[in-house]
Amino acid sequence: MLEAVLAVGGIGLIAGLGLAIASKIFYVYVDPKVEEIEEALPGANCGGCGYPGCSGSAAAIAAGKAPPNVCVASGPDVHKKIAAILGVEVKETEPDIARPGCYYGVEKADLKFIYNGIEDCRAAMLLNGGSKVCPIGCLGLGTCVRACPFGALSMGPDNLPVVDPELCTGCGTCERVCPRHIITLTSNSRRIQREYTTDQCTAPCQRACPAGIDIPLYIQAIREGRYLEAVRIIKETNPFPLVCGRICVQPCESVCRRNLVDEPVAINNLKRFVADYEMNSGQRIQIPRAPSTELKVAVIGGGAEGLTAAYYLNRLGNDVALYEASPVLGGLLRVGLPENRLPGKVLDWEIEGILEAGVDAKLEQKLGRDITVPSLLKEGYSAVVIATGGWDTHVAQRSEDMTTQPLPGVGLLIDFMLEQNGGSSALVGDYVMILGGGKAAVQAATKLLQSGAKAVYIVYRASHQKVGISQSELQEAKAKGVQFMFRAALYKMSGQDEKLTHVEIARLDEKGNISSKEEVLVDSLLLGVGRFPELIYVPRTAQTDEPGAPADESVLWETVVPYAGPSAKEEVGIFRPGETHSDYRAVVEAIGAGRRAANSTHKFLSGEQVQAPPNMIRKYTTVLNLNQIEPIPSIPRHKMPELPLEDRILNPDAEITLGYSEEQALEEAKRCLRCGLICYRRPEAGGQN
Amino acid sequence: MSEYLLLIVSAIFVNNIILARYLGNCPFLGTSNRMDTAIGMAMAVVFVITLSSATTWIVQEYILKPFDLEYLQTIAFILVIASLVQLVEMFLQKSIPGLYRALGIFLPLITTNCAVLGVAVLSVESHMSFIKTLVFAFASSVGYGMALVILTGIRERSATSPIPVHLRGTPLGLITVALLALAFLGFAGMVK
Repeated sequence: MLEAVLAVGGIGLIAGLGLAIASKIFYVYVDPKVEEIEEALPGANCGGCGYPGCSGSAAAIAAGKAPPNVCVASGPDVHKKIAAILGVEVKETEPDIARPGCYYGVEKADLKFIYNGIEDCRAAMLLNGGSKVCPIGCLGLGTCVRACPFGALSMGPDNLPVVDPELCTGCGTCERVCPRHIITLTSNSRRIQREYTTDQCTAPCQRACPAGIDIPLYIQAIREGRYLEAVRIIKETNPFPLVCGRICVQPCESVCRRNLVDEPVAINNLKRFVADYEMNSGQRIQIPRAPSTELKVAVIGGGAEGLTAAYYLNRLGNDVALYEASPVLGGLLRVGLPENRLPGKVLDWEIEGILEAGVDAKLEQKLGRDITVPSLLKEGYSAVVIATGGWDTHVAQRSEDMTTQPLPGVGLLIDFMLEQNGGSSALVGDYVMILGGGKAAVQAATKLLQSGAKAVYIVYRASHQKVGISQSELQEAKAKGVQFMFRAALYKMSGQDEKLTHVEIARLDEKGNISSKEEVLVDSLLLGVGRFPELIYVPRTAQTDEPGAPADESVLWETVVPYAGPSAKEEVGIFRPGETHSDYRAVVEAIGAGRRAANSTHKFLSGEQVQAPPNMIRKYTTVLNLNQIEPIPSIPRHKMPELPLEDRILNPDAEITLGYSEEQALEEAKRCLRCGLICYRRPEAGGQN
Repeated sequence: MSEYLLLIVSAIFVNNIILARYLGNCPFLGTSNRMDTAIGMAMAVVFVITLSSATTWIVQEYILKPFDLEYLQTIAFILVIASLVQLVEMFLQKSIPGLYRALGIFLPLITTNCAVLGVAVLSVESHMSFIKTLVFAFASSVGYGMALVILTGIRERSATSPIPVHLRGTPLGLITVALLALAFLGFAGMVK
């Protein structure tokens, strides 16, 4: 008995002592925070944070390599707990949520064959790219459902995944496993910043919309009687549903698939119906604002484009001030349209909504007179967005006393030539660059050199064969000292205070891609090209090799180019062929340009690359489409009710169009085929509802 | 030499520790869903079983036997194995952090697993020499690892097959193990 106790006790004692000594010898310092953080994390090991499992994430957080809220699977409670362990403040981010983007299950879509293999979309994808004709449609085998670590996904009645928004944590596991990229993370900010891409299911109408409105989705909301939800969907990419519903040029309706049957769906009249419904209901729909970035942004121009840019910059969490030269907001919408097409009170209500969102409008502040870009940067704005809707001659003109320019160092070639002919000496510096302008540019360049300019450059986007200057003229100008740059694009301007100091020129190859970049000393830029696109000015930090840091009052700046919109033929540079002609033809195009300017600014401010998704659908992108559809019963389009002629004569300011009644809107919404890439509602597939 | 060869073949195939002796079923089912987990577990098992069998042989021969305390085998073995694994873990964390991370959670997980204890007891019961014990323990654990990898391979493939809902997961796992054990029964009689 005693032996037994002694033996086991002895073994235990020796083992215990041995371990105690070993723990001293083999002591490894482990940051106690790591363990505490790991305990606070949900332990799902979903990998949504980008680290290998929760322990990897905890180590990264403790080491300061990841922010306390890197875990996407947990909510603000956990983030706060982790922040408390680290003793820091947590910056809250907007939650993401998964959203499947396919609307027609395998039963309703066109199939190439019947798949009867392994129940996994990735395996099915290996067999001739899946059974659906549509190259991006959901294969319905539930790989995402099985992958979801939180049980937030299930297969719905159509065999399409359904997300439970309560359970979804936005970890992105489903997005990573889906071989067709049809389920993606989404949030308000992401939807504001969205561009349609080739791997998304898009209908012809929404691809045609310059503002990028999700048209099939809002018409579906109307059909279901959720009018305010329809307004919310529209406002994600267009803050002017009342205005657009009245005066939009409707590029969407010309490509509507219903054209193959009878007449297009009255998309715009439906938009007007829900917008009017919102105005008459007395409640205003605002899309939620993202957590504050605590950054100040100034937007120049109070027209449709500037208001749009200001609204979305505000919704993305920035503090926005809007500068307008005239005493009223609205720009061309205010002054260019008759009262009977766009009543002033309608426009007022719409603009009120943008101001209510938190945009601080500063009226009668003219760029170049009351404010300048450097003066705004000095005031502490992190970016100044020029959204003057095309920046034509009128805006570019110098102030009356001829001492300041709206944009530092930038003038119009035409102004220069007018001044020359008028005999006055122009406000042009020693190093001049002329953009485009054909032969006029060559003439101006010669004149500039005669009057003592140290260097004159002429930049052409096209190759020299296409510019239209003969070899002899070219040789002559070169002999006089004019320096030509063909197939080149203005990429960036930089300067100090009110002066332009450098420009960056990108040399382009045949395909329009950048082959090289060079910085040129330029203090005056003369524009011989059409209109001026939006531009973002941001402060620049002094480079170390520059002699002497700038004095306290001085501000260094440079420009950031917004990413190219869908109509641009080339992507590089400030003046992109296609874009400057197209973006200001209609209000809806200005709205699209304004939103892209806002997105570009926000991307820049949050440290992201200012560029569109590489597979973004542009005007010249080929997208799968249909040119014929199965027979569908014809339903006539509802005519827009209009004011009788007698009333129009009696009261010329009364609005001519009256808008749909609720019944008309519901009937019209039913005409929508709810198209996808190649799917649409067929009669036998419940199309008669 | 042939004696050792027989011992190895017998431990791996004929008397496979899991498929013939049914020891260590819990981690067998628990870690056979993913191949990388299964391989980590297999490595940890080989490591721990070989080491613990060697230690328990010494405890048996030099402590329990001289004092006629063989009836305390189970308690003493568990005590020794648990402390040993703990010690090894500390040592690895300090000296070979790479291996420590690779074995990860599996090391403490199998501290007092019945397969580990079973191999130790089996080798002592059959009065093996120290070298024989080492070879037997190593071969047994390799057999365990092999069975684990085979099962994981089957389960990974069956996970994507259309399986009736009530059979998914552990039920099908158990059926698979049973069929696997039946297949291994074919080795019976090869070695006496």
